[in-house]
Amino acid sequence: MIKIVNLNKSFNGKAVLENISVTFESGKTNLIIGRSGSGKTVLLKSIVGLHEIESGEIWYEDKLFNKLDFAGKKLIRSEMGMLFQGSALFDSLTVEQNVRFPLDMFTDKTTEEKIDRVNFCLKRVDILNANELFPSELSGGMKKRVAIARAIALNPKYLFCDEPNSGLDPITAILIDALIKELTEEYSMTTIINTHDMNSVMEIGENILFISQGIKCWEGNKNEILNSDCETLNDFVFANSLAKKLRAEKK
Amino acid sequence: MIKFLTQFGRYFMLLKKVFSKPEKLVIYYKQTLRELVYLGLNSVGIIAIISFFMGAVITLQTAYNTENPIYPKYLIGLGCRDSMILEFSSTIAALILAGKVGSNIASEIGTMRVTEQIDALEIMGVNSASYLILPKMIATLLFNPFLTIIAIIVGIFGGWIAGTFSGVMTSENFIYGIQYAFIPYYIVYSLIKTVFFAFIITSVSAFQGYFVEGGSLEVGRASTKAVVYSSVLILLFNVILTQLLLS
Ligand SMILES: Nc1ncnc2c1ncn2[C@@H]1O[C@H](COP(=O)(O)OP(=O)(O)OP(=O)(O)O)[C@@H](O)[C@H]1O
Ligand SMILES: [Mg+2]
Repeated sequence: MIKIVNLNKSFNGKAVLENISVTFESGKTNLIIGRSGSGKTVLLKSIVGLHEIESGEIWYEDKLFNKLDFAGKKLIRSEMGMLFQGSALFDSLTVEQNVRFPLDMFTDKTTEEKIDRVNFCLKRVDILNANELFPSELSGGMKKRVAIARAIALNPKYLFCDEPNSGLDPITAILIDALIKELTEEYSMTTIINTHDMNSVMEIGENILFISQGIKCWEGNKNEILNSDCETLNDFVFANSLAKKLRAEKK
Repeated sequence: MIKFLTQFGRYFMLLKKVFSKPEKLVIYYKQTLRELVYLGLNSVGIIAIISFFMGAVITLQTAYNTENPIYPKYLIGLGCRDSMILEFSSTIAALILAGKVGSNIASEIGTMRVTEQIDALEIMGVNSASYLILPKMIATLLFNPFLTIIAIIVGIFGGWIAGTFSGVMTSENFIYGIQYAFIPYYIVYSLIKTVFFAFIITSVSAFQGYFVEGGSLEVGRASTKAVVYSSVLILLFNVILTQLLLS
């Protein structure tokens, strides 16, 4: 479980996030949605500590993460996996070395055990026979999947995904969403996903946080989202024609 | 001015992060070996070629400027030797390396920054500054003195070839010249400068790359800045170190 209390974040005096409070539960796919520029990435990066926040509290279970020292943070970070908007695979390493990197860095496993784990993770995300390829030789969807494999290599308790299916075709996008949801349930991780894709919202939105211009506007699940009375949220949701149709059917 | 001071502060904060305790020595060791090849061995060629021609040209220029028989011929060899040892092998070689190695480091680290690879390292709990920069630092500090020695040897060899084959002097004269009034301390002086310059090139370039914000355009800019700033600092420290070491 991750709990945020009154989080504030600004860049050079310009507020980007204001008074965000929210709880993300474990074993569930938690979504942060909002328009481009609304502050999703900044929120996610603040939660994992890549951005310093001005004020507020970030709790990982019973630990106040933003007040921990480097060693304390490192301990929690060893339980985090993150998928970045652009995959962020290490260019100079092969697929296998990428997934193996966290194992090399933080475990004392034997080479054989590491290779086993790497192959297990790659198989889990359906990447086969690509161990020796470099990231530049992969397609966008494959990169995302390898990045997921790397993120889950150490069996994280917390998984963060920044727009896991942006720039992918609809079928691959759904596959990746389904994969993340499956993994979340399988390992009962606390998963937080940034997205602006309504398809994902309707597929996997178990707990949804909607932010607009840095302010929390709405919180709920995918069944409630079609019936909210929040103006900005409705604009966002019904910008998509599929959702419009769904609403018409409901009426 | 304030901007300059903040940059200065950030530079030293970065250095502090670079020199904190490594996570896993084996991995750092492997990275260092890799960098020794990329940043060190791969520079031997360019340094050797340039040194050879510089040695040759210095010899010919000295020869044609001292055609007056008052000057003994062996002074040409001596001139070639001292130019190579005092200035070329350390300062000029460092300027060339600032162009080659410096831009390489800045663009590699800068690209990792804008593609969030550095964030990916941080999120795993890796000290990204240390992991990315320390191996490069160690590699250049260890290897650049060898490049200096290579530059001296190849440069003097180039001088000898040019001097004897163009017929401006005999081989005996040249060899007598390069042994005449030889001061071994000059080599120490040159090596000390090289070590300082290697530190400047690596740390300044890494600093430029590490704090890139934006996209590929900014990475390009950072690598230009890396070359310019490290070159200027090299020239500045050349004066300071020369005053300290030779006075
Ligand atoms: N490093 C930064 N410095 C200054 N301002 C920033 C920085 N990063 C983000 N911002 C600002 O914060 C706001 C939110 O940006 P953010 O990247 O979180 O948007 P987002 O919701 O992730 O959008 P997208 O869906 O396009 O990825 C934007 O107005 C942006 O200009
Ligand atoms: Mg974003």
